[in-house]
Amino acid sequence: MQWLDALIQGVLLGGLYAQYALGMALMFGVMRIVNISHGDLMILLALVGVSLAVSFSLGPFVLLVLLVPIAAAIGYVLQHAVLNRVVSQDPLPSIIATFGLSIAMQNAMLQIWSADTRSIPGGGIEQASWQVGPIFIGVLPVIVLVVATALTGGLDAVLRFSKFGRALRASAADVEAAALTGINPKAVYAWATALAVGILGFAAVFQGLRSTVAPSDGPAQLIYAFEAVIIGGMGSVWGAFMGSMVLGISQAIGFRISPGFGILAGHLVFLAVLAVRPQGIFGRS
Amino acid sequence: MTASISASGDLPAVTVRRQTLSGTVAIIIGIALLVGLVAMPWWAGQGTIRSVVELCCYIAIAQMWNLLAGYGGLVSVGQQAFSGVAAYMMFALAQNLGLNPFLAVPLCLIAPAILAVPTYALLHRLDGPYFAIGTWVVAEVVRLLTTNFSYVNAGAGMSLRVMTQYSAHERAIGVTLLCALMLLVTVGGTYWLLRSRYGLALTAMRDNPVSAASQGVNVPRLRFLIFVAAAVGTGLAGAIYFMAQLRITPEAAYGPQWATVAIFIVMIGGIGSIEGVLIGALIYFFADRWFGEFGATYLVVLGVLTLLVALFARGGLWGLVNKVVDAPWFPTRRILVSGGGE
Repeated sequence: MQWLDALIQGVLLGGLYAQYALGMALMFGVMRIVNISHGDLMILLALVGVSLAVSFSLGPFVLLVLLVPIAAAIGYVLQHAVLNRVVSQDPLPSIIATFGLSIAMQNAMLQIWSADTRSIPGGGIEQASWQVGPIFIGVLPVIVLVVATALTGGLDAVLRFSKFGRALRASAADVEAAALTGINPKAVYAWATALAVGILGFAAVFQGLRSTVAPSDGPAQLIYAFEAVIIGGMGSVWGAFMGSMVLGISQAIGFRISPGFGILAGHLVFLAVLAVRPQGIFGRS
Repeated sequence: MTASISASGDLPAVTVRRQTLSGTVAIIIGIALLVGLVAMPWWAGQGTIRSVVELCCYIAIAQMWNLLAGYGGLVSVGQQAFSGVAAYMMFALAQNLGLNPFLAVPLCLIAPAILAVPTYALLHRLDGPYFAIGTWVVAEVVRLLTTNFSYVNAGAGMSLRVMTQYSAHERAIGVTLLCALMLLVTVGGTYWLLRSRYGLALTAMRDNPVSAASQGVNVPRLRFLIFVAAAVGTGLAGAIYFMAQLRITPEAAYGPQWATVAIFIVMIGGIGSIEGVLIGALIYFFADRWFGEFGATYLVVLGVLTLLVALFARGGLWGLVNKVVDAPWFPTRRILVSGGGE
């Protein structure tokens, strides 16, 4: 029964990871860029959320409505001011630029919010749970998973059916050809990053509600998002979603085996996938 | 250093020249500095030696990152896996198995070499930017394994108590000699590599891997060899650094600050050149002395500077210098001089 419990908790944890991973999958799929400050951006949004919630005593829902547009605006500006200058075949400039940004952000957050861990007050929702037989299922983790599923489905639909999604896919396939048909790739990129960081706004609120955030937490979240994307298989948002589930389950089962083994179990599953199936579990070879 | 190409038919007589005056001057200064380094125990104080050892380690680690990213096109943010594993191996050999610590330094390099092979085998499947984060995952795995490994005292770390059998003077002689060797291997070795036949292949690969491959350069094999060589060089720096510290913990050995230092030095100094690494290392070293007390603010500035260099001045400081004067310290270009001959 404790393994069934680990499986359920793992899937619920995977819901949170999916919210980190979606934005990364989108940005890499469209621009071949990995934003090293991805995790730090999420932590920044969560800390802004903590401050807003405490200062104006806002509930989680109001906070979400406020934070997601802020996140999207940050993403848009980030793409315009920084990333559009480093999009190229050569991976070096984008890695170095976002790496520098990551170091600067972590230390700036340390100055503003100090090294303390904080969390967003949820008004009781964070403790609520349902009991199913001997297993307790938290209400909040279920909400996180439902929102993650909805975000994945929504993003997939936008990419498939909207005019913006078509422009995005065209730019991803061939920038120059897309530009010839009247698409402005830089504008498309900016909206894509706005979308990716906007999704991080959801992740930030839920991370702050579910557990705690501290300025130095970013790199770990970046690595989880990255592992989820690779495990699932690059190039599809549902792949990133399923990869998050596999990562969440691996960590939850690892934690049951030994508390020191949880995170490591996730890394080892990632390396095993890379060894056996480098295109990802759900990727097309 | 000159080789003449026999002029046949209507080709003009040319000579290939590689050495320059600036290069000769730089070699002489370099040798003088190395002699000064080895002689330090007789003219410098403990504090100075400590600082210089630290500077040498920065140079070596940055030079190895430069070889990887600047020439191999392999951007890594996880080289601390190799410096950490070598340093831990050295501690285990010297402290747990009772080997002479100065002998343990070269011997421990087997650990990063062995780790580099499966790491590359797994990660070379990842595309550019994903390769970088993949190396970080490997560093995290090694850190977590070390933290759970009681043979090396798990998360609490180890002290190199065997060093107490030597006097401070003897320790200084050993460490400065190792530092000089390390600089010879990492900086001198890279210079030698760049001037050899492989240098042409490496430079071609730096400028365009696809066209280098079409010219007969075995790009995958060369990349693999560079990855292993950089792992060993980084490991050597890690072993010497922690030997001078006399203490190691998983957090210090595998911390991401190693990647930060290497990237900052190479990017500020100028990627793809040996001169850039030396300039960047000196800047980082003095910036750390003078502004380190400002802690987080200082690191914010460091991060923003790295970002700005990546956006606006990819050649770094050495790239800017090159636009004004052409005086390489480590000339690697082959210059054709017309009408030459012996």
